[in-house]
Amino acid sequence: MIKISHLKKEYPSATPLRDVNVEIHKGDVISIIGPSGTGKSTLIRCINMLETPTAGEIWVDGECITDKKCNINKIRQKMGMVFQSFNLFNHMNVIENIMAAPVDLLGKSKQEAYDKGIELLRTVGLADKAFNYPDVLSGGQKQRVAIARTLAMEPEIILLDEPTSALDPTMVGEVQAVIKDLAKKGLTLMIVTHEMRFAREIANRVFYMDDGGVYEDGTPEQIFDNPQRERTIRFIKHLKVFEKLITSKDFDFIGFNTELEEFGRRNQVPQKTIYRGGSVFEELVMQCLLPNLEKEFHLNIAFEYAQGTETLSMSLKYDGAHFDVRNTPNIVSLAIAENASESIEYTEMDADGFTNLVSVKIK
Amino acid sequence: MTIEKNLNGTELSVILAGRLDTTTAPQLDTELRESYDGVKTLVLDFAALEYLSSAGLRVLLAAQKVMNKQGEMIIRNVNETIREIFEVTGFVDILTIE
Repeated sequence: MIKISHLKKEYPSATPLRDVNVEIHKGDVISIIGPSGTGKSTLIRCINMLETPTAGEIWVDGECITDKKCNINKIRQKMGMVFQSFNLFNHMNVIENIMAAPVDLLGKSKQEAYDKGIELLRTVGLADKAFNYPDVLSGGQKQRVAIARTLAMEPEIILLDEPTSALDPTMVGEVQAVIKDLAKKGLTLMIVTHEMRFAREIANRVFYMDDGGVYEDGTPEQIFDNPQRERTIRFIKHLKVFEKLITSKDFDFIGFNTELEEFGRRNQVPQKTIYRGGSVFEELVMQCLLPNLEKEFHLNIAFEYAQGTETLSMSLKYDGAHFDVRNTPNIVSLAIAENASESIEYTEMDADGFTNLVSVKIK
Repeated sequence: MTIEKNLNGTELSVILAGRLDTTTAPQLDTELRESYDGVKTLVLDFAALEYLSSAGLRVLLAAQKVMNKQGEMIIRNVNETIREIFEVTGFVDILTIE
């Protein structure tokens, strides 16, 4: 239904989308999640050409909408958009808001548009507000009207850009319930949201966006219970990360320790835990690993703190010959490191230029 | 790390504060080597020592070897975390910890 290939969107100061390649099938309900600034809203705004892509192609039902010759208004009629800020016409009452586009653009009679409008208001639970002006409605009611207005255009695809993020928490549920009903009707939906439970419940597919594109695409179970890629795992598990690349044996060890302690303070890591993390780092890296690495090396070290489970882990990735740090002759250092850890595991790897991986769970 | 030395007759007391790690251990090593002459009792006060790594242990081991020949070495006021390091590395059996 929608095919996106090599989509790029560049702004003067940022490039939220570098290379997006996905296909969206009829009836898909897709939750789009990810950190701020990763192009979630930009993606759906590109799909209905509210943003002009810098490069790449978007095909909707076999038509290339990024082609200048494409009649975008015709394509847009297939797509409804629900905005964070409702965007209702304040000088029109609720039913007029809903009737306007079907009358003007679809050429429906006023009666037809009115009947359909009332029916839609019933489905979003607001038939009794038909003659009220948007000013007197709550945020949740305004957003439900906005959804009814979108449905009045009989779209095949509905794009929802953070539909509940401008709402008071008490009103989020009523809007989510209406969106869930839409999902059951077989419409194709794409929803940008920060509400993880909602994202999971409603969707058959989840796009995790990061690093300039759709970083991981899977079922809600895959993305939320068993994410495969590093950044997805960090996002889903609320991981706080402190990461450094070391390329010299004379790197700033004192500075590293200061930064590690600061990382601990900032993320409420218990002092004893961060102390142990520093101890494992010194023993494994400074005492066991660095003396064994070649002159030219790359060592990536990442401390990850999962705030939910209050667990700190450390991973070391390094290049060069395979070397299991647990085979060090330095038994004193190893004893200290092991005492401060739940587990120290080693695996040979071959990714991003690294050949060794040590994973440590800090006590 | 700060190192404060007080010589009282043949007893040298050394008060350590901060971190005894990879970067600071050589500093302690140098300070001790300069001071062994005529010392019969070396007392290391760890009350303000916050962190100890294997690099520090190595310096303590070297000091113990020197003092074995000319007297005794005693480590005092060891906190729980540092005591754990001595225990897991077997250093409790080599050093005199009061």
